[in-house]
Amino acid sequence: MWRLKKPLAIIFFLLLLFIPMNTFAEEFKVERGQSIQRAVEGARNGDTILVAPGVYKESLMINKEIYIKGEKGTIIDGGGNGNVIMVTASNVVIEGLTIQNSGSGQEDSGIYIKKAHRNVIQNNTLKDVQNGIYIANSNENQILGNSITSNESHFSKRGNGIHMFKGDGHLLKENEIVNVQDGIYFDFTKGIKVLDNHVSESRYGMHFMFSEEILAERNHVEKNVTGLMVMDSAGIDFIENKVTDQFHFRGYGILIYETKDVLVEGNEILRNSTGLSLEYGADTQVNRNQIAANQVGLEFMGKNENNTFTENNFIGNVVPSKISGEDMRLDDGVKGNYWDDYSSFDLSGDGVGEEAYKAGSLYDRLLRKQPYWQFFFESPSIKLWTKAEALFPSFGTADVYDARPLVEPVAMLQEAQHHSKDRMVPGLIGILFILLSIFVIVKGRKLS
Amino acid sequence: MINKTGALLLMSAALISGCQNSTMEPEEINPEIDVCEVCNMGLAHEHFATEVVTADGEVYKFDDIGCMDEFVEMEAHLKEENAAKQYVRDVDTGEWVELEKAFHAYHPDFWTPMANGVVSFKDKESAEKYVKDQGMGEVLDYESLKKHEWSWEQ
Repeated sequence: MWRLKKPLAIIFFLLLLFIPMNTFAEEFKVERGQSIQRAVEGARNGDTILVAPGVYKESLMINKEIYIKGEKGTIIDGGGNGNVIMVTASNVVIEGLTIQNSGSGQEDSGIYIKKAHRNVIQNNTLKDVQNGIYIANSNENQILGNSITSNESHFSKRGNGIHMFKGDGHLLKENEIVNVQDGIYFDFTKGIKVLDNHVSESRYGMHFMFSEEILAERNHVEKNVTGLMVMDSAGIDFIENKVTDQFHFRGYGILIYETKDVLVEGNEILRNSTGLSLEYGADTQVNRNQIAANQVGLEFMGKNENNTFTENNFIGNVVPSKISGEDMRLDDGVKGNYWDDYSSFDLSGDGVGEEAYKAGSLYDRLLRKQPYWQFFFESPSIKLWTKAEALFPSFGTADVYDARPLVEPVAMLQEAQHHSKDRMVPGLIGILFILLSIFVIVKGRKLS
Repeated sequence: MINKTGALLLMSAALISGCQNSTMEPEEINPEIDVCEVCNMGLAHEHFATEVVTADGEVYKFDDIGCMDEFVEMEAHLKEENAAKQYVRDVDTGEWVELEKAFHAYHPDFWTPMANGVVSFKDKESAEKYVKDQGMGEVLDYESLKKHEWSWEQ
């Protein structure tokens, strides 16, 4: 019996040898009026620094593995010079601080992470800073639940919410970014996950430049000039995001430029000047999106290759599609999309119209030349024109068509859930009402 | 009577000529509405913006000197003599400078909106100072810029 347990015991004692390392880790408390930087200098790797509420007017330089935690009301004020907090060590945790007043140089930031990895920046508030969090040449940092705004000025004078320059494997989750230049800027980055963030009232919600392998899921970008701007990138996945109310006159919900291999799936692209625009896009897959109530639903410019669109709902867009450039087929051969201005028949009853839907009507082309003809939207003459074109479809510049147009809109998952909840309450009230009526009738009869 | 007609004629002539950009001067950038002619990106970094002004008074704006070069390549007729002027801005002051008179600092790691790494200045000293401050890069004049291989050409 003992013999059997011996190796286990040895392992146990070996483990004990490692554990005491942590018992040397100390916890410091910084009180109001003291310097946090001095505490950092006195700390060793693994130590914790707790900061009491108060305003600390200093800039921090963190060059060792420490954990800094602020209580509610702990404010670090950089005094308008350079970065408020500079991190050059890995495995640092910064939590619960209000960080304000950085310098106004191009790269000045609330928190600047330089050549440092696996840091966690969590639940901080950054305000009156040029950039919120700048991460240069670093890998696998986690930016979670922070709230970021820049300074009070025009967006051309502000910096970005979270700027990543050259680095891999970051995770950005549940950050709230308002009033910056670009919410999240990807600059030569790779392998990043961006989940549940909210960006509003900025220039671009997310800006992808020369980046690849990025997953953006369940984010909400609204009221920016452009929601998602993708340029010179590859392998970008947009899943179940809400891209709404980009109503700037040159704004887009999603603009994809010189980029290949983009997946746009299950997104709500609502109320934008232009919903989705492709210019020199290749191998893009656009599936099961709600593209509705935009000024222009879908736009193609220049040469676009090998892009497929299936089961998208194009509903209530003032101009459903605006097409220039090369010929292209929109469906995947089995299923196309629902276009609310499609008017043909489904004789075979398979849910697919018998006639191809031709994107970009004559009216759209006229609009491109004479934008003020917008005035005649839905006028009888334009309707007649469009109808006539459907009968003699040969004026077209580019032949972009959906050979398998759907005659019914596709039911989207999120929508179905909303409906079931929405219907519960009126249903219950209805049942109560019926029960009450029966009660009144029965009672009334007995009385009479 | 003749005087009145004369004055009217003069005024209308002044009006018409006022509408034309015959001097081919660059135009102010409005970051709220101006976007790059080539890549559609908003001109948020005003000091990196460039412009082509044609003899017909058309003004094309770009977010980056690389985009302007791409545009001029595409619109070959603009290369004819006096057909268009190209402008860059001094990155420090935002002053407009004709491309032929400007000096540039180049290194692939210099930040510009479209990452071509060419930063423009009004004189050679400023460009040299930038290269010195950054600790890397080289100074290009108009002739060496012509030979420069842009990132979009690779």
